[in-house]
Amino acid sequence: MADSEMEASLKPIIDQKSLKWIFVGGKGGVGKTTTSCSLAVQMAKARKSVLLISTDPAHNLSDAFGMKFGKDARPVVGVEGLSAMEIDPNGSITDLINAGGDDAQEAMQGLGGVGSMFQDMAFSIPGVDEAMSFAEVLKQVKGMEYEVIIFDTAPTGHTLRFLQFPTVLEKALDKLSQLSKQFGGMINNLVSARGGLPNGQSFDDVLKKMEDLQATIGDVNKQFKNADLTTFIPVMIPEFLSLYETERMIQELGNYEIDTHAIVVNQLLFPKKDNPCEQCNARRKMQKKYLEQIDDLYGEDFNVVKMPLLVNEVRGVDSISTFSEMLVKPYDAPQ
Amino acid sequence: MVSVLLIVFLLQLAIHLVNTFGAQAVNELLWNLYTKLPTPQSKDADESSRLRKEVARLHREMKSISAQDDFAKWARVRREHDKAKDKYDKQSASLTSFRTTFDRLITAARWLGTQGLQFFCNFYYSKQAMFWLPQGWVPYHVEWVLSFPKAQMGAVSINIWSMACASVIALASEGIRASLTLKDGRVREGSNKGEKIKMEALGAGGGEKEL
Repeated sequence: MADSEMEASLKPIIDQKSLKWIFVGGKGGVGKTTTSCSLAVQMAKARKSVLLISTDPAHNLSDAFGMKFGKDARPVVGVEGLSAMEIDPNGSITDLINAGGDDAQEAMQGLGGVGSMFQDMAFSIPGVDEAMSFAEVLKQVKGMEYEVIIFDTAPTGHTLRFLQFPTVLEKALDKLSQLSKQFGGMINNLVSARGGLPNGQSFDDVLKKMEDLQATIGDVNKQFKNADLTTFIPVMIPEFLSLYETERMIQELGNYEIDTHAIVVNQLLFPKKDNPCEQCNARRKMQKKYLEQIDDLYGEDFNVVKMPLLVNEVRGVDSISTFSEMLVKPYDAPQ
Repeated sequence: MVSVLLIVFLLQLAIHLVNTFGAQAVNELLWNLYTKLPTPQSKDADESSRLRKEVARLHREMKSISAQDDFAKWARVRREHDKAKDKYDKQSASLTSFRTTFDRLITAARWLGTQGLQFFCNFYYSKQAMFWLPQGWVPYHVEWVLSFPKAQMGAVSINIWSMACASVIALASEGIRASLTLKDGRVREGSNKGEKIKMEALGAGGGEKEL
């Protein structure tokens, strides 16, 4: 049987002690946050300290656990060993500028139209906002000791786009250093006429900062491509579009050389045999069809975890804890 | 001895025909010949066409499977197809760049051939007058231009004659193309290609309006 090697549970992930980074992703309201929160709860039982980070601008970690989270990691009430953090990618760059103090604000205003143009340009480089949020994360996380970090990613699927950032940055830096050699003197004069760059840095300092950023991201890249350290868990529902998207995502992950060996299939219906509800039965039939396809396509290489659609919403620590048990112990449908 | 005038005219005509019709066809023909020869590029070209057939076959297979009903099978074929396409793209990229260089070389050679022949003719007949102008037809300065560079004053030099031939041939070819298009009744080029040519009948009233 295809499933004989691969357990239909996330227990292998929890048992994999070397794992440091876990991404939970998927498009279309499939239950990413529920899954990532549940996984975090289970992980917290098996590890000393776990950090759950949401990079989705439409945060819902706070909803899920019933308490407010922010840019700094906060321990989750009711789950020992788990902390959570919500990062807004769009805010990062604005924050950077604000953190520069009044000088920075004035400098940005002094640059006027050019300043805002730089800001827009900075946003438009592929992956830069993800990269900035990621740099933010790294900054926060380097100081703290967490065994595992779980990412609840945004549904836009741009999570992995920032992996392209290092290559883009290299080209940009080359161009910049060329330009700086030619125009450096003139720009320095202009800038010092305005009172210097934010924090009185010189052009070289800014360049150096960007190089540092590139080095950090390059290092992180290497960690992500290491299957012992990183894995990606796609979450999906047994419907055509979700299946199509998941297949596409898995292929893309393969191109990026990021390991993925577990899939969570959510919102499964298990109607009783004598169920009168037409819609439930029809939906169950459709789900069965796609489940067969999923088992056929992924059964050999992936841990395919099947999660039921519950009668209640999975919100609040207790509900999530109950749900999380089903991640590690395959669900027995009451038939 | 065939008249020089005729020689020049025929040469210009030949050049025009080669440039208009022959260019692409000649390139293709030479490329095919080249790949038949035992050159490294011929192997690549074979490989490239083999891979392309493979990609097309997989694409057809993919289209024939319904993704909704047989997603697993469809996904597997799509994976194969994507892999094959990547291989083909990589392989053909190098070949395409060589093909571009090859085309450029052939075009350059063709230019040299036609222009070279023209140049040689001009040089050989540079002093010879093509025909003589009746005295007083054109002012002195025009005579000087017409006899440029080496023919005698009052004659037409070969350079001028060949330029005149080339212009006439170009005009005539434009005219032929236009009349063929009119006969066809459909627009040949541009954004509205394929549409019927709008032609309004010149009625009696319309004729008066024109005036």
